[in-house]
Amino acid sequence: MLKVLIPTIMLFPTIWLSSPKWLWTATTAHSLLIALVSLAWLKWTSETGWAASNMYLATDPLSTPLLVLTCWLLPLMILASQNHITPEPISRQRLNITLLASLQTFLIMAFGATEMIMFYIMFEATLIPTLIIITRWGNQTERLNAGTYFLFYTLAGSLPLLVALLLLQQSTGTLSMLILQYSQPLTLQSWGHKIWWAGCLIAFLVKMPLYGVHLWLPKAHVEAPVAGSMVLAAVLLKLGGYGMMRMMVMLDPLSKELAYPFIILALWGIIMTGSICLRQTDLKSLIAYSSVSHMGLVAGGILVQTPWGFTGAIILMIAHGLVSSALFCLANTAYERTHSRTMILARGLQMIFPLTAVWWFVANLANLALPPLPNLMGELMIITTMFNWSPWTITLTGTGTLITAGYSLYLFLMSQRGPAPSHIMGLSPFHTREHLLMVMHLVPVLLLITKPELMWGWCH
Amino acid sequence: MTSRLSRMWPILARVRLSSVLGSRCVSQTPKSNASGAATASDLQPVSPAAQDIHGHAEVSPFEKNPDFHGFHHQDSFVDEWNMRLAFFFGISVAIVIGGTFIHYLPDHGMRQWARREAERLIKQREAYGLPLMTENYYDPSKIILPSSGEE
Repeated sequence: MLKVLIPTIMLFPTIWLSSPKWLWTATTAHSLLIALVSLAWLKWTSETGWAASNMYLATDPLSTPLLVLTCWLLPLMILASQNHITPEPISRQRLNITLLASLQTFLIMAFGATEMIMFYIMFEATLIPTLIIITRWGNQTERLNAGTYFLFYTLAGSLPLLVALLLLQQSTGTLSMLILQYSQPLTLQSWGHKIWWAGCLIAFLVKMPLYGVHLWLPKAHVEAPVAGSMVLAAVLLKLGGYGMMRMMVMLDPLSKELAYPFIILALWGIIMTGSICLRQTDLKSLIAYSSVSHMGLVAGGILVQTPWGFTGAIILMIAHGLVSSALFCLANTAYERTHSRTMILARGLQMIFPLTAVWWFVANLANLALPPLPNLMGELMIITTMFNWSPWTITLTGTGTLITAGYSLYLFLMSQRGPAPSHIMGLSPFHTREHLLMVMHLVPVLLLITKPELMWGWCH
Repeated sequence: MTSRLSRMWPILARVRLSSVLGSRCVSQTPKSNASGAATASDLQPVSPAAQDIHGHAEVSPFEKNPDFHGFHHQDSFVDEWNMRLAFFFGISVAIVIGGTFIHYLPDHGMRQWARREAERLIKQREAYGLPLMTENYYDPSKIILPSSGEE
């Protein structure tokens, strides 16, 4: 754990002491080395789950894939934001990378936390750099509104979580996940206990987001600069899923009945947000609603509390993280050239950018869950386990899959196919940096086909 | 934003793609379509077109540096080395060396061993004509059941 955490903290001296010419080169190389070292976490040394370096920081097969994803994402964020941040004064460039690195640090500590309060504190701490990135470097005036929605939705969900955790500490005497997993199932009958159950989960459901409380997401994802959109879509949503999976261990007897309305909301959200995607004119907004749709499936998979559900949820979280981030990067390349997110303005791109059309194609195929990509593996496992929970869910999940394929195809056809309008002809060619960025997103997804057991979690 | 859209919608709804482009979308001959693009851009105001994000007057960075890689606009030396290091650390180190490390990870939970062992046992039992698996996991003679009359 320390072999990754200390180099991540040492990123701050790298950022502030590098010469302005070599700032981006140094931080890219440094963060890629951190990403390499983070792969060592995938060597699970113990059979039983937790590999603890000390009492407070530990990894297990659930948190490891998410930790590796977090560490992989920082160099990608730096690569993606290099172009639009470099014109700014040097201290603001350093501040931008500092915010990304501090987000990385908080996320590593959140995913590695064994104590629920430490997880809570890191969960909240990630809000601050993200808020600053959205409101300082976003491009439209709506970014202030987006930051407000983002902050207050998440805070409104997480303050009940703090109260619930303190109550749990009061009754069990500990909040360490290492110990709580062995505690006796709590006898929970009264209304107070049911509210406690809801308090434990609502923060994570807002973060995921669940359909009814998802309004912050389209605003935040759209108004954020590319690095903010990437980290939001790829990792911060998964904090919610991870938190839910950790809390589920302790909430058991009540969850059988109480999870029902949330599963229904999640499934309905898949259909609704997928349908909204079909009517979008804003490119980033489409990708944002697609994230809500996929996370609805993940939320459903976690709430049914079966081994396949959890496994499918982890696989889909990792695969969606990489693919959604890739789509936001592609949207940003279109935005940097046309300075607009309107889809019909950046259409017919295949004629001008043929290699980029390949990246658009692969990213959209991954988004619509093409076999043998891990997106499909995750979705199939969740759909199967929900069918086992209730056969009627197949109508919702099946329709959701259909709509997902529909809007992914719509996105591809709209941006790539058709005659290129004349204003597209003058756009500047794609940079090597942008191609490298797309390769570094999509190659891990393809490589994960060959070794999915990295993502199966501790249920197998 | 929605009030702007609701004011514009009656106008936009009447715009047909064919009228915007001046012809049906079959011909590929370039026409002066500058006026066509203007209507679509009313949906979202485009930033002043004269300057790109760097404040230059629409000069492509490829004019000064034909080998521009997208990393550093002014200094081509830094641009080239940034590209080399990003590719080296990103692909050669992280993906290739990291991927090799992951490939050679030990068989966690003995899952692959279990599959190979099962296939080996099946082959062995079929060769000897033994049943693949016995019906009873425990030996039934060793199970002591309480007599049916008692509680």
